[in-house]
Amino acid sequence: MAQVTEVGKIRRRVLAEMARMTYEGTLQEKIDDILETVVTEQGPRYRCCVHKERAVLKERIKISLSQSLDLSLKEAAANALSGEIVGLPIVNVLPEACDRCPIDKFIVTDACRNCVAHHCINSCPKGAIMVVQDRAYIDKTKCVECGMCKRSCHYGAILEISRPCERACDVKAIHAGKDRKATIDETKCVSCGACRIACPFGAIVDRSMVVQVIERMKTDKVVAMLAPAFIGQFGVKLKTGQVIEAIKQLGFAEVYEASFGADIVAVEEANEFIETKDDRSFMTNSCCPAFADMVGKHLSALADRVSTTVSPMVATGKVIKRKDPEAVVVFIGPCIAKKGEGLRNKEFIDYVLTFEEVAAMMVGKRINAAEVTASEYTSMASRDGNSFAKAGGVMQAVLDTVQMTAPEVVVKAHHAEGLGNCKIALLQMKAGKIDANFFEGMACEGGCVGGPATLTDVRVTSKFVENYAATSVAKVAPENEPAMDERKKVVDFHQHHA
Amino acid sequence: MKKCKQLTVEICVGTSCHLLGSEDLFESLKRLPRKIQDAVDIQGVNCLQSCGKGPNVRINGLILTDVTPEQLLRVIETNFYCEKESI
Ligand code: SF4
Ligand code: SF4
Ligand code: FES
Repeated sequence: MAQVTEVGKIRRRVLAEMARMTYEGTLQEKIDDILETVVTEQGPRYRCCVHKERAVLKERIKISLSQSLDLSLKEAAANALSGEIVGLPIVNVLPEACDRCPIDKFIVTDACRNCVAHHCINSCPKGAIMVVQDRAYIDKTKCVECGMCKRSCHYGAILEISRPCERACDVKAIHAGKDRKATIDETKCVSCGACRIACPFGAIVDRSMVVQVIERMKTDKVVAMLAPAFIGQFGVKLKTGQVIEAIKQLGFAEVYEASFGADIVAVEEANEFIETKDDRSFMTNSCCPAFADMVGKHLSALADRVSTTVSPMVATGKVIKRKDPEAVVVFIGPCIAKKGEGLRNKEFIDYVLTFEEVAAMMVGKRINAAEVTASEYTSMASRDGNSFAKAGGVMQAVLDTVQMTAPEVVVKAHHAEGLGNCKIALLQMKAGKIDANFFEGMACEGGCVGGPATLTDVRVTSKFVENYAATSVAKVAPENEPAMDERKKVVDFHQHHA
Repeated sequence: MKKCKQLTVEICVGTSCHLLGSEDLFESLKRLPRKIQDAVDIQGVNCLQSCGKGPNVRINGLILTDVTPEQLLRVIETNFYCEKESI
């Protein structure tokens, strides 16, 4: 996580207020109050006036309720309270909030010498460049932002400036539309959340199901499943037993760790690797939805390299539903892309929340995890299962498992973090430039501990996860007996495509 | 011997303040000059009873709310002083 910005504080205050009202049963009646409590008359003000600020906030609240922007706040609240979730994309641009960053993509700097060759003028396919006051000038009404002039200038005098959201998106899914507002191309977006972090106006928001989950807890048995990156997220001074207790106090009947399913996944992927290694030049993990989505949407020729094994989230969901089909399963993680993966696996995952949202729920219910009495707690997973949270962890888990179950098989593993880096590595692997037959791809730098909805610094939590993993009794996945037992009972842990 | 004023800086690590960025405050203290760091006693506290207005800090008993890393460094630097060398 980057530093908590003013934008981040507003987002978190809104979530906490929504949670408080839902717990207290006053959301429907009081939702409009959030506009006044989060944006006060006295400021601080980030936009022109209090009205603009509140207009943005309204949109933010509606997306956070997973409701359409066309509704009034009261209607949106009513729908969310009745459990409705509309078919919005996971990551959305708030039309009111986007500043339309008035950026001229290509600008001529002082370095222009008005040279005789004027390659820029010659290179421009639209005749958009002329000489004005002894310097090249780009006519914005003709410029189509192709970048030919920049490449042609021998002085490097033409600069390319891009919007923060565009620059952050490694799969080029976000662009300025005709009205200069950012728009996300759903056919390209993999819901990684990088643009949400990058936008200095807080104009990009992921939908949330906080209200739906709190309502559900009033009537049903709701089970929490913590992503392995949870260690250290709710405060570095907390004991794990305190976190577990605080989560139960929110209204969750039981708490599972997704790393339990990670142990199953490690064994399934190791087996899949052994069985298919002669049929494909390499295999990749499937657990990071943004990474897997990128392969599907942008490198479809490599789609068959992605393991068919389900993610630890889905695997653990299958285990919980086998034991209790009535249980409502809520995954809690650092990840925005998991919200989409959850929707694609409705049978096993009812809702997906982030650490940020869950901490906001604690604040809303006035639970201070630092003051909660810790219970005794030992991890449900092996060291390797817990290490899924960190970059390189999945790779290590699969390596260790293959070594244990089929020592004669050679695994040459390679890994990358960040979608752009993953893409480059995959292309090199495809071209045979990297000598490896297993690849781990993580969309976030550092792995899930660096996810977009984390609450603690990635280096700090990475260390915490390591220490926590070291406390596991089982070292490698096959040694986790309860998980191996469940693996036999559930039988199928693979995704079957038509 | 030069005597420097002792400052007690208590940063709230309660859930509300954590969510609003108290971790960044701890991190920012590393940017203080060495001699100030040595004279500052940094502690985490579980709650300063001003939740929601965080991140909150108590310096020598005085509570400051909605503190940014920059503000915290400035407050510490302006309140820190050492007595002149006595002969
Ligand atoms: S792929 Fe990621 S950065 Fe690009 S638009 Fe989607 S969420 Fe934003
Ligand atoms: S690395 Fe982890 S947090 Fe980031 S997108 Fe992938 S699964 Fe989500
Ligand atoms: S949690 Fe910081 S003041 Fe209560």
